Amino acid sequence: MADPSTLSFKVSPVSPLAPDRRYVARKFYGRFMAGLITVAALVGVSVLWIILGYVIVRGAPAINLDFFTQRPLPYGEVGGGIAPSITGTLLILAVAALIGVPVGLGCGIYLAEYGRGSVVEVIRFCSDLLAGLPSIVVGVFVWAILVRQVVGNFSGIAGAVSLAIIMVPIIVRTVEAVLLLVPYTLREAALALGVPKWRMVISVVLPSARAGIITGLVLSVARAGGETAPLLLTTLGNQFFSWNLLEPIGAIPIQLYNYAVAPYPDWHTKAWGSALVLISVIGILSTAVRVATRRQNR
Amino acid sequence: MTTDRPETTSRRSMVARLSATFAGAAFLAACGAEAEPAKAPAAPTAAAKAEPTKAPAAAPPTAPAPAATGAVAITGPFEGEAKTLTGAGATFPAALYSKYFNEYNKLTKVEVNYQSIGSGGGIKAISDQTADFGATDSPMTDAQLKEAKGGEILHIPMALGAVVATYNIPGLETTKLKFTGETLAAIFLGTITKWNDPKIAADNAGVKLPAEDIVSIHRSDGSGTSFVFTDYLSAVSAEWKTKVGASTTVNWPGGVGGKGNEGVAGEVKQTPFSIGYVELIYAVQNKLGVGLIKNKAGQFVEPNLAGVTGAAAAAAGKVAPDLRVSIVDQDGAATYPISSFTWILAYKQMTDAAKATALTRLLWWGTHEAQKFNGDLGYAPLPAEIVTKGEAMIKSITGAGKPAFPGK
Repeated sequence: MADPSTLSFKVSPVSPLAPDRRYVARKFYGRFMAGLITVAALVGVSVLWIILGYVIVRGAPAINLDFFTQRPLPYGEVGGGIAPSITGTLLILAVAALIGVPVGLGCGIYLAEYGRGSVVEVIRFCSDLLAGLPSIVVGVFVWAILVRQVVGNFSGIAGAVSLAIIMVPIIVRTVEAVLLLVPYTLREAALALGVPKWRMVISVVLPSARAGIITGLVLSVARAGGETAPLLLTTLGNQFFSWNLLEPIGAIPIQLYNYAVAPYPDWHTKAWGSALVLISVIGILSTAVRVATRRQNR
Repeated sequence: MTTDRPETTSRRSMVARLSATFAGAAFLAACGAEAEPAKAPAAPTAAAKAEPTKAPAAAPPTAPAPAATGAVAITGPFEGEAKTLTGAGATFPAALYSKYFNEYNKLTKVEVNYQSIGSGGGIKAISDQTADFGATDSPMTDAQLKEAKGGEILHIPMALGAVVATYNIPGLETTKLKFTGETLAAIFLGTITKWNDPKIAADNAGVKLPAEDIVSIHRSDGSGTSFVFTDYLSAVSAEWKTKVGASTTVNWPGGVGGKGNEGVAGEVKQTPFSIGYVELIYAVQNKLGVGLIKNKAGQFVEPNLAGVTGAAAAAAGKVAPDLRVSIVDQDGAATYPISSFTWILAYKQMTDAAKATALTRLLWWGTHEAQKFNGDLGYAPLPAEIVTKGEAMIKSITGAGKPAFPGK
C-alpha cells in the first residue's frame, strides 16, 4: 500500500463518482444478483403452489361424501373412503398433543425463565438434537419399547407417543424464542408488584407471548400430522374405525401409502385424495387456531 | 394378544376408553399394568384365573364335536368372541385377505385389521405377539419357531399362488416363451446373457429371439415371492443350490432390484429385454409376458389356477403334519412347478379366549366358505386334503387353556 500522502496525486482527475466501466459492471452485477435472488424467492413460493395445485387437481376426483364417511374397500374394488384414517389421525394427534404440549411448553418456559448458565445450553443442545433425529428412529425406538414391551402390540398410543416425541423439540424451540421476545420491563413491573415468579410467568409472560406460542404448537401438530414412518411402525394402520388406543388405529399418511403403492388406478386417485385431505386437515387446524388467537389478542 | 396375562376384550376396551377420556394418568396406569413381562404360556392356573371373567368363549369340551365338515359353517356373529383382530404380514395374499376380511365383517361384524408389511414383518409380529396373527408365503424356519414368545406356532394354509417368469421383449409381446428350470437358473446366475442363447432357442423353436442382452430383475426387499422362486431354482439346479440357495433375502449374483411385486412388474414393464418374477396376479394386471415353465413331467405349463392346484394335490400326500411344505417342482403332467401355499400364522395356545374364538372362527371360514373368492383374485383354492389337515389344526387351538373353536 502506498503512503496516503502521495495517494491523492495518483487519483484520476475525473470524479470518483462518475460512471466508468467498472461502475457499470458493478451495477449490472448487483442487479443480476438481485434478479437471481428474486427468482429463487419465486421458485420457493411457486413450489408450494405447484404442489398444492397438483395435489388438488389429482386429488379432487377422489373427493365425495363416501370418501369422508366410508371405510376402505378390498383391493381393486372401486369406491370406499378413508373415514377411519381421518378419525384416527385426529385422535392420535389429540393424544400426542396432550402428551407433547405440556412437556414442550414446560421445557420452553424453563429455558426462557428459570434455566441458568450451562444447564440451558445443554438442554437447548439436546432439544436441537432431538429435533434433528430422523422420525424413523423415533418410530423404531417407540416400537422397541412400547409396541414390543410395555403395551405389547401395535397400538394408537404408541403412535401418539412417537408423534409427541417429534412435537416436543419444535414446541421447546418456539416457546423459548417467543418468551425471550417478551420485554423484560413487563417482568420487572410484575415482580415490583410483589407477584411470585410463577405467577408472573403465568399471568404476564405467557399471555403476552400467546400468539407466538400457539404458532409453535400449530407448527408442531402440522409436522406430526404428516409423519408416516413412525406410525407405520407403531399404530400399524387399521381399515376399520377404532377408538381404542391400545389397539391399531388408522391414520391418513398410512392409508395414503397403502393406496399409493397398490397397482390400481382408482387407489392412486384415492392416494391423491388422501394427500389433499391431509393437507386440508392440517391447514384447517392451523388457520382455525390462528384466527381464534388473533381475535383474543384484540 | 399382547402379554400372557389372560384378559377379556371387554375389560381391555374399558381400559382404553378410560385412557382416551383421561388420557394422562389413567392411561399411564393402564400401560404400567400392561408392562408385566411375559409369563410362562398358558399355565392351568392362568386358565382358572380367566374363568370368572366374562368370556364364554370356548365351547364346553364335552359338547359333541361336529362330525361332518360340511355341517360346520360360520353363519353369523358368535356370543363372546372378540370383535377385533389384528394381523400383519405377507403382501402377496393381501388382495385376497382384504376381500376375505371385508366379507367376514359383513357376516360376523368382527373387524379383522390386516396390514401387509411383508412376510418377514408378519413372522416378526407373531413372534413378538404384537399382532393376533401373522401371514407369510415362506414357512418359518425351526430357528424362527424357537424364538417365538408365545409357544408353538401353527401354519394354517389359506390359499395357493403361482410365481411366474415375466419378460418384456419388444416384438415378442404376444409370444409365450418356454423356459426350463435350468435356463431360468442360468439366466439369474448370469451364465446365459443373450436372449438368443442356444439353450433358450432350443426350447422355443420357431421363435425369432433377439441378439440382445438379458436384464434380470429381482426383488430388493425380503420377500416370500423371492423365497418361492429361489426355492424352485434350488430344486431344479444344483449350481443354483450351491451358489445361491433359497431365501427370502437372496444374495443375487447380478441383475437389477425392484421393491415389492409391483416394483418388479414396473421394472420389467419399463426395461426392454428384461426378465423378472412376480406373483401371477401382478403380471396379469400389468399385461406382461408370462413364460411357460417345464415341469417335472416334462410338460411346458402355463401358470394358471389348475396348474397350481395340481401342485398342491401332488404334494398333499407328502405334506408334513405341521403343513410347512414347499410345493415347487411337483409331479403331474398339468402341474405348474413354481407354486406355493400362503399361510396364516397363529399360536396354538392363545391366552385371550375371546380372541382365540374369533380367530379360529375366522380361520375356519377362511379355509372353507371364503375359498370361493380365491379364483377371481388369481389364487387357487385349497385342495380337500389340506383343508382337512387345516381343520384339525384350527380345532387344536386353545384359548386360555380350553379348545377355542366353538364349532359354528
